[in-house]
Amino acid sequence: MTRLLIGLSMGLAAMSPAAANSLVSAGPRPNIAGSSFSAAPVDEWNRLSRKDGKNVEIWTRDGDQLNKVTFFGGIPSGKPLVREIDKKRQPLPKVAADMLITDIPVMLESTYRIQYAVSQMDIDSQEPATLGGHKAIRFTYRFAREDDGVRRKGEAIGAFVGGKLYLVTYEAPALYFFDKDVEKYRKLAATLAL
Amino acid sequence: MRHLSRFALCGAGSILALLGPSPASGAEPGLELPTYTRAYEPRTVDERGVWMEADEAERGLRDSPLRIREAGLEAYLREVLCREVGTERCAGVRIYAMEIPGFNASMMANGTMQVWSGLLLRSRSEAELAAVLGHEFAHFELRHSLTGFQQRRRATDAIAWIGVWGALTNRDTSSTQSIIERGIYRYGREQETDADLLGLQYAALSGYPASTPSEVWKNLMAEEDASAAGRNQKPKQKYTAGYFDSHPTHLKRSIYLAEAAAKMPPGGDARAKEYRAAMAPYLPRFLAAQIKRNDFGGTEHILQSLAADSGWGPDLLFARAELYRTRGNPRDLQVAAQYYREARAAGYMGAELDRNLGLALLRNGQADEGRQSLNAYLTAMPEASDAKMIRALVAN
Repeated sequence: MTRLLIGLSMGLAAMSPAAANSLVSAGPRPNIAGSSFSAAPVDEWNRLSRKDGKNVEIWTRDGDQLNKVTFFGGIPSGKPLVREIDKKRQPLPKVAADMLITDIPVMLESTYRIQYAVSQMDIDSQEPATLGGHKAIRFTYRFAREDDGVRRKGEAIGAFVGGKLYLVTYEAPALYFFDKDVEKYRKLAATLAL
Repeated sequence: MRHLSRFALCGAGSILALLGPSPASGAEPGLELPTYTRAYEPRTVDERGVWMEADEAERGLRDSPLRIREAGLEAYLREVLCREVGTERCAGVRIYAMEIPGFNASMMANGTMQVWSGLLLRSRSEAELAAVLGHEFAHFELRHSLTGFQQRRRATDAIAWIGVWGALTNRDTSSTQSIIERGIYRYGREQETDADLLGLQYAALSGYPASTPSEVWKNLMAEEDASAAGRNQKPKQKYTAGYFDSHPTHLKRSIYLAEAAAKMPPGGDARAKEYRAAMAPYLPRFLAAQIKRNDFGGTEHILQSLAADSGWGPDLLFARAELYRTRGNPRDLQVAAQYYREARAAGYMGAELDRNLGLALLRNGQADEGRQSLNAYLTAMPEASDAKMIRALVAN
């Protein structure tokens, strides 16, 4: 019996890396979020194994509740930003080929309100930027979810390239954590390429 | 097997009898309200526990960022509740207005009531709002949090012990356990019906029309049907609640409330005008949140329902334009531009109208007209937080 338990434990331990979070070490990192997104982080991050969508990848330093960088890598026309929880009752807005660049923050807000029960969200600043040499929008926002009521802040950069939406967001609690890591995110965002 | 089934049914019957009388048996038709005790204090261990949890939850609500604190909204909600249930009864209640776009209000055992912005948006008169607040107050007065907790505990204890007995005697007890489990949900639905009927008594005594509570559910069903149609789904209203449903269906509630209301004094003014005036400062904010829920049919129904009472004012026209622009088909963008212009003609003053009209036109390929509107926005709001982005759009 003891041998069986030991065997099972070893088996589980051997299996776990496949489903585990992984380290993102400093240096070039291609094919982020299963797309042409690439970056060259100057320090270490953790990549979560959790997949919020086919072309979504999440990085964090201390856990996604404390600081979270989300890459939306080439969401095609007709698809939502993240995988829908309830397609029938809570369908998410879909990317459309004719969207303006200013529709990116609107789409993110609507997705958050529906998918994550965010009932307060404000887009603060919006300004032009470039993402991998393409025209992009950089925007900041604040939101609070119904479940924990924590005030969070966010900063993002997004662009439409070849009819697909490329977006990177950084989010953290407004109290202490956002300011603590925002410069690390900005350094990471400065290395983004498509 | 038959013997076992009979045994299981007998066992379930005895256990259900032990679980206590149905809550429905206590509710008497008529207009006499239950005896009310001021400054009531919890009396038993169970009740003190339920109150302690409610006190903790109330601290969270009080400090929540989602609470709408400004301009005396909560004071107005209190006025409506006091008019519905009487000044003495409402004195022990704390009301928290929460910015959550769903249709809901709820009340905890210690007298904490939360009212969601989605309910405030959908209500068309004080009477409609009061119908829901009265229903929630009835849960409080009938101490449903406590009795519901006790019933769930008795039922789940019984399910656990029957499971142990089944394991010891090697018998299948799943059907008995299933009957008891079903009783938990049925008990919850019966509590809802009791709260509906007591809430109706408050309404009948308050001077609000007795027919309004039934209308609330009819309107909600119409919104759900519109929402389904907008998503190319089949509208579906059921009369009978499902196994795990916590509430009776909207259809059933609207019918029994209408039947009960027919036996009561009709009541008076629904105070629609006063309600519209009180909600006017919040309407644009509540509408904006609703539009972002990606529910075209449901939102269009809400707008039409509000406009049927108040007419298409500037806020409703602007919201309608936003709704169409958000859906974003070429035909929607054309209609949106038309509604923006109508909203301006109706007196909408906000500079964001020019920006959003410009964005709708630009997205629809009407670049010159779009730039003209965006420039009007930039002239009015040169320091706006999105001015740099809009300038870049105009330049391109």
